Amino acid sequence: MTRDELNAHRLVKEAKETELRSFTRRHFLKESAMGLGAIAMGSLLGSCNFGAKTNNPVLYDPAHPLLPKSPPYFGKAKSVIYLHMAGAPSQLELFDYKPELMKMDGQDCPPSLLAGKKFAFITGVPKMLGAQAQFAQHGQSRAWVSDNMPHFSTMVDEVSFLKAVSTDQFNHAPAQLLIHTGSARLGRPSIGSWATYGLGTENQNLPGYVVLTSGGSFPDAGKSIWGSGFLPSVYQGVQCRSEGDPVLFIKDPHGMSRDLRKASIDAINASNELEYANYNDPEILSRISQYEMAYRMQISAPEVMNINDEPAYIHEMYGTQPGKSSFANNVLLARKLVEKGVRFVQLFDWGWDAHGDGPNNSLNIGLKNKCRSTDKPITALLLDLKQRGLLDETLVVWGGEFGRTPMMENRNGIQNPYNGRDHHTEAFTMWMAGGGIKKGFTHGETDEIGYSALSGKVDPFDIQATILNQLGFNHEQFTYPFQGRPFRLTDVSGKVIQDIVA
Amino acid sequence: MIPGMKIFRSKKLIVILVILGVVVMGAFLMPSSDKVDFNTQIKPILNKKCISCHGGVKKQGGFSVLFHEEALAATKSGKPAIIPGDPDGSEMIKRLLSKDPELRMPYKHESLNEEEIDLFKRWIKQGAKWGDHWAYLPVKEVEIPDVSDDWVKNDIDKFIYAKLEEKKMKPSAEADKATLLRRLSLDLIGLAPSDQVMRRYLNSKDNDKAYETLVDSLMASPRFGEKWASMWLDVARYADTKGYESDGGREVWKYRDWVIKAFNDDKPYNQFITDQIAGDFYVNPTDEQYIATAFHRNTMTNDEGGTNNEEFRVSAVLDRVNTTWEGLLSTTFACVQCHSHPYDPFKHDEFYKFMAYFNNTRDEDLQSEYPLLRQYDDSLQRKLSGLTSWLKQNAGQEKAAEVYKFLKTGQPSINSTTTDSLKNAVIGNNNIALFFKNNAQARIPAVDLKGVKQMIYRYSSNVPGGNMQLRMDNPNGPLIASWKVPSGDKYQNLEVEIKPQTGIHDVYLVYQNPGIKNKDQFTVYFDWFYFSDSFPGKAKPGYAENKAAFWTLLNSNPSSIPVMVENPANRQRKSYVFERGAWISKGKEVQVGVPKTLAYAMPKNAPKNRMGLAMWLTDSRNPLLSRTMVNRLWEQLFGTGIVETLEDMGTQGMSPTHKELLDHLSWQFMHQYKWSVKTLLKEMVMSAAYRQDSRLSEAVKEKDLFNHYYARGPRTRLSAEQLRDQHLMASGVLSTKMYGHGVMPWQPEGIWNSPYNGAKWENSKGEDQYRRAIYTYWKRSAPYPSMIAFDGAQRVVCSPRRIRTNTPLQALVTLNDEAYIEMARHFAKRMELEGGKDIGQKISKGYQWVMYKPIAAPKLRILDKLYLQAFNDYKKNPAKMGEILGAEDKDKNPEKAALVIVANAMLNLDEVVTKN
Repeated sequence: MTRDELNAHRLVKEAKETELRSFTRRHFLKESAMGLGAIAMGSLLGSCNFGAKTNNPVLYDPAHPLLPKSPPYFGKAKSVIYLHMAGAPSQLELFDYKPELMKMDGQDCPPSLLAGKKFAFITGVPKMLGAQAQFAQHGQSRAWVSDNMPHFSTMVDEVSFLKAVSTDQFNHAPAQLLIHTGSARLGRPSIGSWATYGLGTENQNLPGYVVLTSGGSFPDAGKSIWGSGFLPSVYQGVQCRSEGDPVLFIKDPHGMSRDLRKASIDAINASNELEYANYNDPEILSRISQYEMAYRMQISAPEVMNINDEPAYIHEMYGTQPGKSSFANNVLLARKLVEKGVRFVQLFDWGWDAHGDGPNNSLNIGLKNKCRSTDKPITALLLDLKQRGLLDETLVVWGGEFGRTPMMENRNGIQNPYNGRDHHTEAFTMWMAGGGIKKGFTHGETDEIGYSALSGKVDPFDIQATILNQLGFNHEQFTYPFQGRPFRLTDVSGKVIQDIVA
Repeated sequence: MIPGMKIFRSKKLIVILVILGVVVMGAFLMPSSDKVDFNTQIKPILNKKCISCHGGVKKQGGFSVLFHEEALAATKSGKPAIIPGDPDGSEMIKRLLSKDPELRMPYKHESLNEEEIDLFKRWIKQGAKWGDHWAYLPVKEVEIPDVSDDWVKNDIDKFIYAKLEEKKMKPSAEADKATLLRRLSLDLIGLAPSDQVMRRYLNSKDNDKAYETLVDSLMASPRFGEKWASMWLDVARYADTKGYESDGGREVWKYRDWVIKAFNDDKPYNQFITDQIAGDFYVNPTDEQYIATAFHRNTMTNDEGGTNNEEFRVSAVLDRVNTTWEGLLSTTFACVQCHSHPYDPFKHDEFYKFMAYFNNTRDEDLQSEYPLLRQYDDSLQRKLSGLTSWLKQNAGQEKAAEVYKFLKTGQPSINSTTTDSLKNAVIGNNNIALFFKNNAQARIPAVDLKGVKQMIYRYSSNVPGGNMQLRMDNPNGPLIASWKVPSGDKYQNLEVEIKPQTGIHDVYLVYQNPGIKNKDQFTVYFDWFYFSDSFPGKAKPGYAENKAAFWTLLNSNPSSIPVMVENPANRQRKSYVFERGAWISKGKEVQVGVPKTLAYAMPKNAPKNRMGLAMWLTDSRNPLLSRTMVNRLWEQLFGTGIVETLEDMGTQGMSPTHKELLDHLSWQFMHQYKWSVKTLLKEMVMSAAYRQDSRLSEAVKEKDLFNHYYARGPRTRLSAEQLRDQHLMASGVLSTKMYGHGVMPWQPEGIWNSPYNGAKWENSKGEDQYRRAIYTYWKRSAPYPSMIAFDGAQRVVCSPRRIRTNTPLQALVTLNDEAYIEMARHFAKRMELEGGKDIGQKISKGYQWVMYKPIAAPKLRILDKLYLQAFNDYKKNPAKMGEILGAEDKDKNPEKAALVIVANAMLNLDEVVTKN
């Protein structure tokens, strides 16, 4: 190094050390502000009332936006794997066993179920449709699971079922947005963004919030479903891919060796150190760090995203095939990512929209195929997490954006060619496992045909409140100021589902 | 952001607290009689400690401190809580001091400190005067600080200098010419200037004059409008798709082009706003005026099956309200949708009065996006002109205007989706169009039949032999038309004569076709209905050919763009307050109006429609429109707004750092510059404050790390657009082609993966690969990834401010994105060809193209070293050479390959991605 470079290098090193020292201290101050201030604040604040800015600690530090932070309360879950079956799986063919509905199979839908209701496609008087699957009880908890999920049925003693989830959105995109961002409209941060904003990430070489998609299409709501909304964009979900580059632009250009990339980043940073010596702008320090991190991420991301080296029994267990894009591969990746300290992993599997307007959208063909491609990997995930001792600290959530009608769909008043069900908002099933959730438990119950909730009704806000609770946040106190008020994920609603918390 | 700052601040805070403590103690010993200022001393405490229970959302005990009259009014107890002039008799003070925890306020919270209570006492003693928030008071002419220092170049500097003096700081000297050239150029046109402009400036002797010439030539460049339009398109949430689930394409790019032209033509800002809010209200609007109104057609449209059109129409209208307030008026109005504003003086029903201005446009969340402005090609346009002048002569101005409007906008027609009382009919997929089976009927509610002689309708039918009837009042009511429905495989327009009637009636469509056996088969599909007088001038010469021209025009399929068109007088929607903001719970009916606090700016003669709204917005008494734009432009140049929260100048926004300067510029903007954006920008960039060197001294680092007081020049990372444009220009491939459809430059596979929608990203060809960022096709649900990485706005709703981040994902874009690698290749090629003999010269030349100044020796050595390493690497691995140079390069050698590596590094240097 020349004298100029040495001098610049020393300056940058000193500056970084000072920064780290003061950050640690500031961090501590903020933490305590969050811990105490927030507790004091939360109870008095509704969504729209909040104290002056000084009372509302913002955890965002532009210089270190992703440093790990502890939540204000003790959280049993350190990370979350959220498995979203986009298109909305039918609860009536999977978990919600309704012998009465079977008896009504083929009959006209009673007018009482139609009066004043609106459906996405059903018009006029549809026919009732009994379950297109066989049900049996499983495990010590005697939970009902259909023969569509033969593997998963062995895991029922690990999970808590939510049988009476309801929503107020009967279209895919708004319903997906509601469940992931707390609003049916675009523009709010997703739950994963909230989690990384609140917790940072434990692995600085990987994104804190990773999204994996399968099924040949993005979820209906598009990328905004993992967007950061009004939170700084650094908290948006990073889409990783099991085919092609695991993270966009992570690969060096063709024809550039790793050594050259290293040399080139070293050159950029050496030059930037000189720039810092000249301009003294702390933003330059931050840029130097980001380039270093980018380089490290280039190594870690492909490493963690590579499943080739997993042992054969793992591939057998998950049903994975390296190099292909599949839900199974994504599930295995989710486990690997969580193992490496990623906070929030979201999987979207597209193609569950069994209307009956085509074979792939039918309960007897399409749905069965979807079950076949997900049953084994999901079961493997729970087993694998358990055997690694990770299930206790990893919350696994499974569900769709709404449920499906006990009636057979008749689009524009005409019977659909295959057996299918329309979108249904009033009752559907989700489940959670691990991360401090009760084992072998069922919360909520629907009526005898699975149309509406009888007890234990929960909505997307309750789900969100519960997830945040498991991560160590009180959803009513966890806010970010925007448009002149503190926003929270759960807006003005949400209750932790205490019944399923272990 | 840097460490140390917050701690420094809190140290300062401690000092302040100590001083305050002394002051407070003094106050207790000797009651102060100093005048208490509501805005700076009382309102902040109210907002912080009281208003969450006693404000716009809750009024505990019937007491609210949001409005003056509320604060002084009787509470639930029957007595007012505040009695002006009598602090000891005021319940409020008693409650603040009470020892009983059930009575003491703030309830269940820490009590106010003695200083705060003392402030309240003095304030009540002095009459409990209210003060309006500065941003809601009109802009007044400001006295310019009396500063005489050589540093000062114009009035802006006097404000800046005075504030710096107050803060015990000194401004910086002017930056060097190269830095200024680059800063100014990136700011004004978003990329490098032409060689000629650059050379003229760098070679000039008279710095001041040359600088001004530079400013003028940059402002005259057509690139100017492209730069400033990028800023506006965030506010306008412009995108090339409709949003929501299917997020299909939308042809609205002519609006983007309109914005570019408006900035280039320096359209006065009041005109710019009027055209966009109410362009359709002009008498015989021009195409340009219609296109401007697409500003508020950039709202999303939901095409998903089963959605309620009215729900999403309302949603679009709400978005228009919020965008108008947030983007044009720096006010967060969205919370008033559900309840009165918690902090600012806006009441719940005022949101809906304001919403009523936007509630009467023809758009109804249709897949077709009606109403559309139809833009005919030249020959059809001539036909239209001929027809219009014939109509003027033979049927009068009014008829001519009516026909013209129908042919240009298809309005005022009735969308088939609004029919009801359906029998054997559905609104297909619940929201697309009206479908008939055999023996069908549908009601078109409340049609004004006065003067109606015909109905033109757009439909398609795949079965011949159908009979259609129109009946009045009920499905068996008087027959007013009857005809055979021709079949065909496409949508077509037809007319049918109607027996003359008077008054407003429900009209029933009744359909029957004896040839149809399958009762479930859909046979007729309707798009819209248009009731009107018959084509005028029947007896006049030229009738036949002009009627034919009318039909040719109507049946043509010209290019079109969604625009605003108002409902006709006889089809006005009513507006209601929505209880708790839910569109389905309609409360009391409301009429158009602006919030009372700001009603003073409404001109007396303003009509009660969108044109009236535009008049209020652009009235020089409107306190927010000019301040907001001045603040927005300032932020673009200086990196931070004078009010940092561009989206909120209300009491919860940040306070202005230089309120007088903001007001001075806002006043000048309206009164001196006549709303000329270019004049305003010129004033800003001519200031010494703007021209300062951006080096940060240790002294200033301690005092003003974030440059709130401008003791140095701006230094910020380039915007997503600036970055792409600059890099393309440096690579020598930038296309200067303007306007037109969005283009699709290279992006990785798999970014678009839309359900239900075969939309594909197809890489543009030729120069369209290298257009400026503003022309990149913008899909809301999957925007261009490299622009999003650099904080580009998603453009789903109004984004009044981009918050800059600094992340490793950004580094990955400029290091590895194939689009950026290709730029590096071209950049390297340019250096290779035009740079000079040896590698040092080539690198220096390349650096100079981007930075306009020679590269510093140590930096050159670093890049030189990198070159050498790359050269050796490629010499050893010649196979890799081909990959880095790309397939197009036929004559490969390690020198060229190594230069690509260097070019890539150069395009990642801090100074290159930064505006300095």
